[in-house]
Amino acid sequence: MEYKQKNDNALVDMIDIHKYFGSVQVLRGIDFHVDRQEIVGLLGDNGAGKSTLIKVLTGYHSLTRGQIYFDNEAVRIHSPHDARELGIETVHQDLALVPLMSIARNFWLGQEPTYEVGPFRFLDKKMMARESIQALADVGIHIRDSEETVGNMSGGERQSVAIGRAVYFGKKLLILDEPTSALSVGETQKVLDYTIAAKEKGMSVIFITHNIRHVYEVADRFTIIERGHKLGDFYKSEVSENEVADMIVTGQIPERLRLYDEENGDVA
Amino acid sequence: MMQAYFEGKREASAIGSLVTFLAFGFGLLGLAIAYGVALGWIPLGERAQILRSNLNTFEIIVVVASLIYAACCLRTAYGLYTREGASLRWAQWMMFVTVMIGGTILLSVAIPVGLKFSLLLSQVADLRDVINDEPGAFVSVALSTGEALISISLFIIAVIALLALLVFLIPFLESWRDRPGIRLIVAPPRKFIQAILVVLSLGIICFLVAGAAVVPDYPGQTTIRDSENHRLLAGLLFFLPAFFAYRVVRQVEEQSDELRRALALTPGKFIRAELAKSPSAGAIIGFIAIFLGFTMATDLFLEPSSVASFLSNVATKGVIAIGVTYLMISGEFDLSVGSILGVTALSFMNFMTHGAPVFGVVGPIPAALLAIFVAFILGAINGVLLISTRIPSFIVTLGTMLAFRAITLVAIAGGRILRYSDHHTELPIIGISNLVFIALAVIGLAVIAFTAYRVLPVLYRGALQAWSIRADNGDFGTSGAIVRSVALVLVALILLAIIVWLAAVLAYHGSASGGQIVEVGYFDLFNGRVLAIGEDGDFFHMQIPRNANVRLAIVWWFIFVVIFHVVLTSTSFGNSIFATGGNEGAARAQGVNVDRVKLQNFVIVALLTGIAAIYETARNPGVDPLKGTGWELEVIAMTVIGGALLTGGYGSVVGSLLGALIFGMLQTGLVLVGIESRLFAGTIGVIIIAAVVMNTLVRGARQN
Repeated sequence: MEYKQKNDNALVDMIDIHKYFGSVQVLRGIDFHVDRQEIVGLLGDNGAGKSTLIKVLTGYHSLTRGQIYFDNEAVRIHSPHDARELGIETVHQDLALVPLMSIARNFWLGQEPTYEVGPFRFLDKKMMARESIQALADVGIHIRDSEETVGNMSGGERQSVAIGRAVYFGKKLLILDEPTSALSVGETQKVLDYTIAAKEKGMSVIFITHNIRHVYEVADRFTIIERGHKLGDFYKSEVSENEVADMIVTGQIPERLRLYDEENGDVA
Repeated sequence: MMQAYFEGKREASAIGSLVTFLAFGFGLLGLAIAYGVALGWIPLGERAQILRSNLNTFEIIVVVASLIYAACCLRTAYGLYTREGASLRWAQWMMFVTVMIGGTILLSVAIPVGLKFSLLLSQVADLRDVINDEPGAFVSVALSTGEALISISLFIIAVIALLALLVFLIPFLESWRDRPGIRLIVAPPRKFIQAILVVLSLGIICFLVAGAAVVPDYPGQTTIRDSENHRLLAGLLFFLPAFFAYRVVRQVEEQSDELRRALALTPGKFIRAELAKSPSAGAIIGFIAIFLGFTMATDLFLEPSSVASFLSNVATKGVIAIGVTYLMISGEFDLSVGSILGVTALSFMNFMTHGAPVFGVVGPIPAALLAIFVAFILGAINGVLLISTRIPSFIVTLGTMLAFRAITLVAIAGGRILRYSDHHTELPIIGISNLVFIALAVIGLAVIAFTAYRVLPVLYRGALQAWSIRADNGDFGTSGAIVRSVALVLVALILLAIIVWLAAVLAYHGSASGGQIVEVGYFDLFNGRVLAIGEDGDFFHMQIPRNANVRLAIVWWFIFVVIFHVVLTSTSFGNSIFATGGNEGAARAQGVNVDRVKLQNFVIVALLTGIAAIYETARNPGVDPLKGTGWELEVIAMTVIGGALLTGGYGSVVGSLLGALIFGMLQTGLVLVGIESRLFAGTIGVIIIAAVVMNTLVRGARQN
C-alpha cells in the first residue's frame, strides 16, 4: 500500500487510519488533516465514521492501524487525557456534562485548579466559581450561580456550557461533534459565532455534522467521509452548498470536481 | 389580611391586633417557662423523676432558649404594634417556630402515651372491661369513640384502596374507569379524602386523651408519669394559636412592594430550599425527628451512658459506611464488606496467635498492619475483577462475598471461635512515654492555633461587615449582625477552652509528678474504652462519666469522617468520583481515569473495612467464622439513608454519618422506650423507605 507523505504545514495529520471493532471495519484507511487556524467541516451521513475518527484522535478509542502527527511530531494518543495535554479540546455529542454536578465543577472536570497546603492539594473553589462564570460570560452565557447543577439547565444551555468550556481550555484544536443537532436556530447561530471566535483566537476547529447548512457558512474546507473511506477534501471556493449536500447523500463526487481532483492529486 | 393591617385599614385591625396579641402572649409564655424552669417548678430531663436541687444541663439550655424565644416574640409584637413592615416577616418566622415547638411537645406526648396505652391494653386483657364498666366515665366514652372513629375511617380507606387496586389489576374493569361509580373509587373527591383524614385524626385524639387519663392510674404496668397531661396542655397552648396565626401571616393577597419582598420566601419554602442544597436532607430531617422523639419519650436516652453505647455500637459500621459511600457515589457497590471484615479479623487474630507467613508470630500493631494489607488485597481483587471483566459490581461482589466467606469457614473448622485468650494469658501492653502525650498536645495546639488564625479573622470581618450594612440587609439585618457577633465570641471561647485544656495536659505530662510512662493495652489503643487509657488528668481524660462506654473507635470514626468529607468535597479526586458515577462517559471524555477511580474506591472500602475489623477484634478479641455476616446490607442501608443514590453520582460522607447515627439511635432508643428489639429490623425498613422518599422529594424541589 502506498502511504501519503506527511504534510509539514498541518496542525494535525492523520495518515492511513484504520479502526476495527472486532470484525466490523469502521475506518478503512482515512487520511485527514487540519491546517493551522482553519475550520474544517467533517461531513458524512450517519454511520459514516465521523465520530469514530474523532474518538481516535481524542484518545477515546485506540486506533487499529495508522499514524497521527500533531504539530509535526508523531504522537500516540492513548487517553482523552493525552489529547488534552496536546491542546485538543472536544465537545462530544452526548458525553459532555455530568447532570448532578454543579456548573463550576463540570467546567473544571479533569483539570481542577488546586492550591497546596503542605503536601495536600485542595480545590480552589473560589477560582473555580469566578473563572467559570467569567469564561461562560465571554461566550455569551450568563449564569447567576456557578453552584447550580447542570441537570437544571436546558439542552441549549448545556451545549453552550460544554462549548464555552472547550473554548476556554482549548489551546490548539477544538473539536465539535454534532454541536447543533439539538439546538434551536438562535442557539445554532451562537455556536457558529463561538467557532469563529475560536478561530480568531488562533485555534483550528473540526466541526462535525451531517447537516451542511449548519457549517457551510463558517467552514474553510469540507472533508466528506463515506462508509469508512474519505470521499475527498473540498475548499469552500470550489463547491457549492448543494454539491456538498449531494455528495453526502449519494457518496459520488460530481464529474466537474472529479477532474479537478485528478489534476491536483489529493487536494491539500 | 395582614397587608391591610399594615396599611391601616379598619376592617383588618381586629385580625392584626389578634396576631400582635398572640405574639405578645407567646413572649410572656416563653418568659414564664424560663422562670419556671430556672426556679425548679418545671422539672425537666432526669429531674422530672429524681428530685435534685441544682439545674441540669438540659434545663439550662431550655432556660436560655426560652429567653431568646421570648425576646424575639416580644420584639415581633412591638414591631406589629408600631406597624413596621419588617415585623411581618418576623411574625412569619416566630409563628413557624412556635408551630414547630408546639408540634414537638404534642408529639412528645403522643408517642409515649400512644405506645404505652397500646401496651397497657395488650398487657392487661381486662383493662378494657374495667374502663368500659365505669359508668358514664368520660374515659370510657373517649375510648369507645376513638376506637369507633379509627376503625370506621381505616375500614373506608382500606376498602377504597383495595377496590382501586382491583380496578387497576383487572383489564376489563380498567376500561370502565370513566363510569361514574368506578370513577368515584379510582379518583375519590378531595373533600371526601380530607373528611376521612379528619375523622381518623379525631379518633386518634380521642384515643390519646383516654390514654393520657388512664395511663397514670396503672403505674405498676408501665413506667409513666402524669406530667404528660401537663405537656399535652402546653403543647396545645403553643400549637393551635400559632398554627392559626401562621396561616394568617403566610397569606399573600394584594402586595405592596415592601411587603412582597418581605413575603417572597415563607419559612417553609426557605427551609425546603436550604435542605435541598444538601444530599442528605432526608437523613437530616430523620435524625432531628428521631433524636427529638427519643429524647422526649424517655429520659434515659440523653444519659451519657446510652449515648456512648449507641455511638460505640455503630462506630465500626460507620467507618465502613464512609467507604461504601465513596463507592456508591462512583456508581458501584460492594456486597463483600462483611466477608472482608471476617477475613481481616481472622488474619489479625491468626497473625498474633499462629503466626504470619513470613514474619511468624507478631505483636498487635504489626499484625494489624498485615491484616489491613490482606484487606487491601481483597479489595484490589474486587476492583480488578470489575474493571477487567466489566461485570456489574453487584455480581462481582456477590461472588466474592461468598468466596471470601469460604476462607473464614474453612480456616476456623467446626464453628469454633478463635480466641486470643486461648493462646495468650494476658492482653498485650505497651508503655507510652509521656513524650508522646506532649507531642500530641503540641500538635493539637498547633492545629488549633492554625484554625484560629484562619477562621477568626474571617468571622470578625464578617461580623463587622454585617454591622456596617445592617440597614441595607433587609428585615433581619440587625439580628443577623447580632447572631454573627455571638457566633464569633462563641467560636473564640471554644478555641480558647481547647487551648487551655491542651495546655493543662502539656503541663501535667511535662511536670515531674505526671512524667511517667503510661501503660496502655494495645487493644485499647485501637478500640478500648477511653477511660481504660491512662489515668485521671491525662490526655484522654475529659469529663466522661465512669459508667459511659465511650470507645476510642468513635474518635477514629469522627476523624475519618472529617478527612474523607474534605477529600470528597474539596479535592480533584473527590470531583472525579462524582463525575465517574454521574456520567461515566463524560468523565472519561474529560480525561478522568474512570477505571482507576473505581479501583481506588474498592481499595478504600476494603482498607476501611480492614480497619473496622481491627476495631471489632480489639473490642472483643475473638473471631467466629460468620463474623460480619449481614453487615454489607446494614452498611448499604446507612449509606442510602444518608442520601447516596444507588445509581451513583450523588451522596455525602456526612450523610453516611447521619445514617449510621440514625441506626444507632434506633437500636438503643427502641429498647429504652420499652419496645422489643425484635421490631428493630422492621423499623429500619420503614425508615429507609421514608428517608429515600424524602431525599427524592427534596431533590425534586431542587430540580425545579
